[in-house]
This record gives sequence, structure tokens and C-alpha cells, in this order.
Amino acid sequence: MALLTITDLSIAYGLADGRELEAIKDFSLTLQRGQIVGIVGQSGAGKSTIGKAILGLLGENARISDGEILLGSENIARFSERQFGAIRGKRVGYIYQNPMTALNPVLSVGEQLIEAIEANTHRRGQAARDHAIALLTSAEVSHPEERLSKYPHQLSGGLCQRIVFAIAIAAQPDLIIADEPTTALDVTVQQAVLGTLKRLALQEQIAIILITHDMGVVSQMCDEVYVLSRGRLVEHGATARIIGAPRERYTRDLMAAIPSVDEKRPRFDVLDAFEETPGRRRGIDYLKSGIASDVGQTILLSVRDLSKTFKGEKRGEGFRALDQVSFEVIAGETFGIVGESGSGKSTIGRAILGLVEPDAGATISLAGRAIASGDRKGLSQRLQCIFQDPYSSLNPRMDAGTNIIYGIVAQGLVDRRSARVLAEDLLEVVGLPRAASRKMPHAFSGGERQRIGIARALAYRPELIFCDEPTSALDVTVQAEVLNLLKELQESLGLTLVFVSHDLAVVRQMCDRLIVMKAGQIVERGSAEQVLTEPGEPYTGQLLAAMPRVLRSAEPS
Amino acid sequence: MMSFVLRRPGQSAILLLIMSVLVFAGMYVISDPVAVMAGEDATQADRQALAAALGLDRPLPVQYLTFLGNILRGDFGTSFVYGRPVLDLIFERLPATLEVVFLAMVLGLAFGIPMGIYSGLNRKKPATKLISMVTTIGYSIPNFWQALLFILIFAVWLRVLPATGRGPTTEFLGMQLSLLNPEGLRYMLLPAANLGVALICMQTRLARSGTQEVMYQDYMMFARAKGIAPPRLIGRHLLRNILIPIVTITALELGTLIAFSTVTETVFSWPGIGKLLLDAIYRSDRPVVVAYMILITLMFVLINLVADIIYAILDPRIRYS
Repeated sequence: MALLTITDLSIAYGLADGRELEAIKDFSLTLQRGQIVGIVGQSGAGKSTIGKAILGLLGENARISDGEILLGSENIARFSERQFGAIRGKRVGYIYQNPMTALNPVLSVGEQLIEAIEANTHRRGQAARDHAIALLTSAEVSHPEERLSKYPHQLSGGLCQRIVFAIAIAAQPDLIIADEPTTALDVTVQQAVLGTLKRLALQEQIAIILITHDMGVVSQMCDEVYVLSRGRLVEHGATARIIGAPRERYTRDLMAAIPSVDEKRPRFDVLDAFEETPGRRRGIDYLKSGIASDVGQTILLSVRDLSKTFKGEKRGEGFRALDQVSFEVIAGETFGIVGESGSGKSTIGRAILGLVEPDAGATISLAGRAIASGDRKGLSQRLQCIFQDPYSSLNPRMDAGTNIIYGIVAQGLVDRRSARVLAEDLLEVVGLPRAASRKMPHAFSGGERQRIGIARALAYRPELIFCDEPTSALDVTVQAEVLNLLKELQESLGLTLVFVSHDLAVVRQMCDRLIVMKAGQIVERGSAEQVLTEPGEPYTGQLLAAMPRVLRSAEPS
Repeated sequence: MMSFVLRRPGQSAILLLIMSVLVFAGMYVISDPVAVMAGEDATQADRQALAAALGLDRPLPVQYLTFLGNILRGDFGTSFVYGRPVLDLIFERLPATLEVVFLAMVLGLAFGIPMGIYSGLNRKKPATKLISMVTTIGYSIPNFWQALLFILIFAVWLRVLPATGRGPTTEFLGMQLSLLNPEGLRYMLLPAANLGVALICMQTRLARSGTQEVMYQDYMMFARAKGIAPPRLIGRHLLRNILIPIVTITALELGTLIAFSTVTETVFSWPGIGKLLLDAIYRSDRPVVVAYMILITLMFVLINLVADIIYAILDPRIRYS
């Protein structure tokens, strides 16, 4: 008998006006003991909804409108909250996308692990504690005993996710639902964490439903894949078959949107034709008239001996985030800064933008002139930033248009009346309709918000835009659209971009030259082509090796 | 953590000093104790003699410095009206206020937190709507009016509780307390309930909004997913996260009630310090008012310090930063 059989599952969400929205329609899946299957699709496709339905965790406005979910021989689709108590943690474990928010911030990780053991097994007290240490050991957590007394904010994301793994396997469940288990983690950590997950599954004979948008992860982990689009199953089959010979257009698009470290493509094959409207034309003209596009070998930004020490709590105990960093950015190029989180990438950006004060001895000059860190107002017209998280970088109480122009109006760069028209023009420049100007940020998707963020940065007509992981919070297909947009704007406007990312595949697609950062120092520099194909440093090699690749023909290892 | 506790006394001393200047100068401007005490038919000579006896004939800065010097020796002055050291007066009355406020706080937390969590978790239940309606009314009703209603209902109509006064007390650690005396406790119920109603309403609202926010956090869903049963889910995961705003407001309310539960004490003729303050202001008893305000400031400082320490215990992110 199959471990889990989902037949014609439909899930509906009640809307505010009384109508219902079918989030999942006629979804079926069969899972054998010990098998790993993937559910892939864009965000909003309904992947997580399926995972939550299996655990009875759907919100109160959602209901299973049709179909059944058989766990063994029991139909859990109609289970009550009470009945699910016998399933959750005991027969089905759960791994959540963001380990930092999955753990309760005010309880120690030990308590959170031990309570799961006590809730789901017969172990109590010291026996539960001993088991906790054994679980942490098998989840490859170093110093397991010390970790028990720590709180989530004291541990890294990778460690927190391993603790979440330990919680999920505490009662040796038959099945684990892993909802985007590595999306919030660094690439280098991602590999190791996935390795642990796969080993645990094999060792304990646990089946896994892996929910992800990342085809690379799927190709490494899964025996079978289910492709989901707008709540409907598009196709399913063995991983090698789906990746090697996708039958459906949607699956092919999903694959085409994945940036590759191994080759550079001029554009991603996604549909994003811009309509040539008068407003868009006007917007481009506005930008062109202000952004100097003398693409030559002139050095636009020069950074010399940039160091930054963050003071520790005790005297004399400082943390050196940046150590003697020097580089130059040529006008019109895209300059990459890569490295793991904590390597100092973002600190460079903050120092350039004047948001942190560098240590004495650093010189940062723009177009040959040194910039004083106090001159924030003058700087903001010349340097702009596109932020990592499009959800928190827009003011939620202002509509999209106001978000774009309030800065330039406040600085007197344009008058209030023409600013409104300009905002609408710029929305068209980034591929959104003029009417979007009146909508509030929450009405937009992540990709649309990031476009608004780009329009906001462009409005200043800056000489240089600092892009801090601009797509790491976005889906692959949305990421492809945003990257295409940046490339297109760069070509038509001659923008100079400094592009910070931990994703080497994205960097490969975007950057002309780059530096590789490790622990605050530059370990390698050169053209993107050369560094990413023939890395001179072992560290760069490690970063490259850690990138998940879509194994297009090979069997999953 | 320790440095954080140790940094306080300096700041607090400055605060106390500023407070003492303000109150001292304020009382000097708004009242003339000599006029009040001497009466209308006193002669000019009588007034001057009285002023000299009280030390009020000297310039204000000199009076203030003398007052500061006396405080440093532990002498907060002598009441113009009662002719007794003000500290004695205040500490005689303080237990009466403290026990009423304590009972009110217990009522507020014991009813408010469970009601708030219940309505946060069950947004659509009829009981939630009832709680919401009752707390809105309870919060908006004027304190004195509510006190009169209580007297009317429980003392006049039902005749189950005494209307005014303190009733018998039992001595405990040198303090006279009604809380430990069964008959005395009956006298306490109405004043405590009168203070407690607003507290219950406020704690209900705080607990409800906290619950609604925390309930949708990822860690709550994850805790459910890992098989944690509702009692622990609410008692540990939820409660621990909603307590910080509750502690903040409890601390502020505690201070305010001890210092200024004047209306309730007046209506119920409860001999607490609120009533002492009111009488002192009417009679221009400057030493009492000034000493009272300084002690109250000191109390606020201490309560806030305790609240900050509780934050650190509740939230490790505060503890380790």
C-alpha cells in the first residue's frame, strides 16, 4: 500500500466578498515509503497549500472542497483539529521555509526540541534530553549539548534549519513535508543541509515531499516531480524525464528561467515584451537626459583601502567586517561583488552610500572626486540603491506613485505636479501599467514591488545604482523578468550597476567584472567570464561547486 | 545586563532633582500656605510670625537648598497642617493604597489575560463579541460614576458590601492590612473592583491584540505542525510572546494607580495616600505635596527598572544584546 495517496484534491479559499477562490484543483499524488518527490511551481502556484492540507494547517478561511488524502488507509482530508494531533509530529514531520522564523524567538532551542520529543514519544525528562542530543548529532549539529541552551537568534540560519530537521525526525515519522527548506539559506550552506536531509531520509526510511521553486534542488533530491501551475497539476513523472524532456510549455519556461553558472545568455526566455507607449518613451527620455551615458574607460567609482570595524560590547573586542578593500567601477559596466553571507558584501554598499562610517584611511571617490560621508543629500542624487527585500523597502502607507517620487520631490528635483506624471511614466519604463501608480504596495506581487523599487531608484537619475541581492527574495521566473529588465535598462540608458549577490549564476548572467569576498577581504578579482570559468582561488572554486545545478540528463544521485 | 541596571541610578538622580525643583517652584507659585493657615482675620504681624516660624520668609532658592540639605539627612520636612514628619504621614497611609491597588492588579491580570487570549483565538465566537462590547463600555465609563453605581448596586440595593470606609485591619510586618482580615476584605472589594474594571478592559485588549499578532507567526504554525497540544501552545509559546506589552502597561498602571487613585479613594472614603495628597493640595501643605511627588517619582523609577528586568527575563533577544 502507498504511504500517501492524494486523489482529486481541491482546496478553496473564502474571499471577503463571500465568493470562493479555488487554490488547488483536482490534484493527485502517490507517494511510496522512503520515496522523495518534489512539487515545483512559481510562488502562488499552491505548492505550500498542499503541504499544509496534509498536516491540517490550512487557515480558517480555507477548506478542502473535494477529494481525499489517504495516509495509509485513513482519509485525513476530513480530520478534525483533535484528530490531527495524532498525525502532526508523530507520523508526519514538517520543515518550514524560514528556520529563523519557524523557531520561537523567546524559547531556547533545547526546550523547543525536547517539547517535540515529549509530545510525540514516550521519552520524558533526562531520556528526552539524551534523545535530543542524539537527534542533533544525527542532524550534524556540532557541540549538540551546548546548543540546547541557545536561543534561535544566537545561531546561524543553517544551524537553525538543522535543529528544525531534528524536531521533524524526533518521533521517526513516515513522512516529512519540506516546504522550501533551503530557500532562506546561503548556497554553500544549502548543499550541506540538503545532503543531511537526504541522508536522514534514507537512513530512517522517511518519505519526503519537497516543495520548491528551484529545479536545481529537485534534480539533486527527488525521484519524482509534480509540476504545479495556478493550483493545477501540469505534469508529473520521473525527475530525469521531466528535466530532460519536459512535455509542457510551463515546465519548459520554468527551466528556461533558471540562470546557469556555466553559460551566459543575453536574455532569459520569458515573455516580457514592453509596449512602446508615449509615456514609456517620455520616461526613457527623462532618464537619458540625466544619466550620463559616456560609456568608455572612465572610472566612475573608486574605492581605496576601505575598512570597517564594528565595535564589540567589551573594550578592544571589535569585528572587522571589511579589511583594506580596494576596487574601481568603470562607467557603464555591471560590477559584481560576490561571497557568502557575512563576507562583507552589503557593508561595502552601505559604506559607499554613506550609511555606515568607514574606518579612517578609506577614500571613496565618485567620478574622480572624493565623497565625504556626511554629504547624504548630495549623494542620494548620484548613488541609488535597489534593496533585497521588496516587501519591506516600500512604504506600505503610500501608493506606488508616491513611493517612487516622494524622495525626489522632497529634494526639490522636480515639482509636485509633474512628479505624478513622471511616476506614471517610470512605471511604464519598468513594465507596469500607469494605473498602478494609485495602488498601495500590498496590492503588488514581489516581482512587481521590485519593479517599483527600481523605478524609485531610477527617478533620481543616479550615476550608479547599488543592487543589493535584488532578486534573492523572488521566484526564478520573476527573477528572470527583473534581471531582463535591469539588462534592458542598462543597455538603453548606459547605467552603471554594482551588483551584490551570493548567487553566482545570477552574477554570471549580469556582471562584466567582479570581486570575490571572503571574511571582509577580496580574495579574487577579474572578468566575470574568467573568474567563473577558471577560478584562480580555491574559495571561488568551492562557491562554484556549491551552486545547485540542474542535472539535465543524469539520474538523480 | 548588570551595567544596564547600574547605569540607572545616575539618570534617576537627575530625574529626581528636576522633579523636586519643578514641584517646589510650582507649589510656591500657586499657593500661599500662610494665607490658608493664618485664616482671614489674622493681622499682618501674625502672618509674618507664622511665615518666620515655617521658614517661609526666606528667598525661594534658600528655602529649596535647605529642603535639599534636609532630604540628604533623611528629613523630608514637617507637615504644616498636622505638625508631624511627612514621611510618617505617607507611610501610615501607603499600605491602604498599596493593598487596594494590588487587589485591582490581580483582578486585571487574572481576568484580562485569559479573556484577551480567548477573544484573540476565537474571533468569530459570540462570547468574543460580548467581551469586546463589555470592555469598550468598561473602559469608557467615568471612574467616579462607576464608583457611585457600585455603591448603589452592592451597598444600597443588594446590601451585600459596605459602601465606604476601611473596616477592620490585621497587623502584618508593622502594616495595617485589610487584605488579611475577612471582614476588612469586604470593605476592600468595591474600591478594588472600581480600579480593577479599567485594568481588566485594558489587559483584555492588550492580550487580544498580542494574540492576534502572535497567532499568525510562523513559529506558532510550526509548533502546531510538530504536534504541540493547545495548552502548551497557548501557555508557553503564545503567552511568553504577548507578555512584554502587558508588563509595560502593568508597570505604568501600577505607578499611576498608587500615585493617583484619588477619585476612588475619595468616593469610597478610603484612607489612602491619594486622599492625603488631595487634602494637602487644598490646605497648601507644601512639604507633604513635595515629599509625595518625590517619593512617587522614585517609585516610578523603581517600577520601570523592575519592568526592564522582567523584559530581559522574558525575551532572550533583549538579554543578550
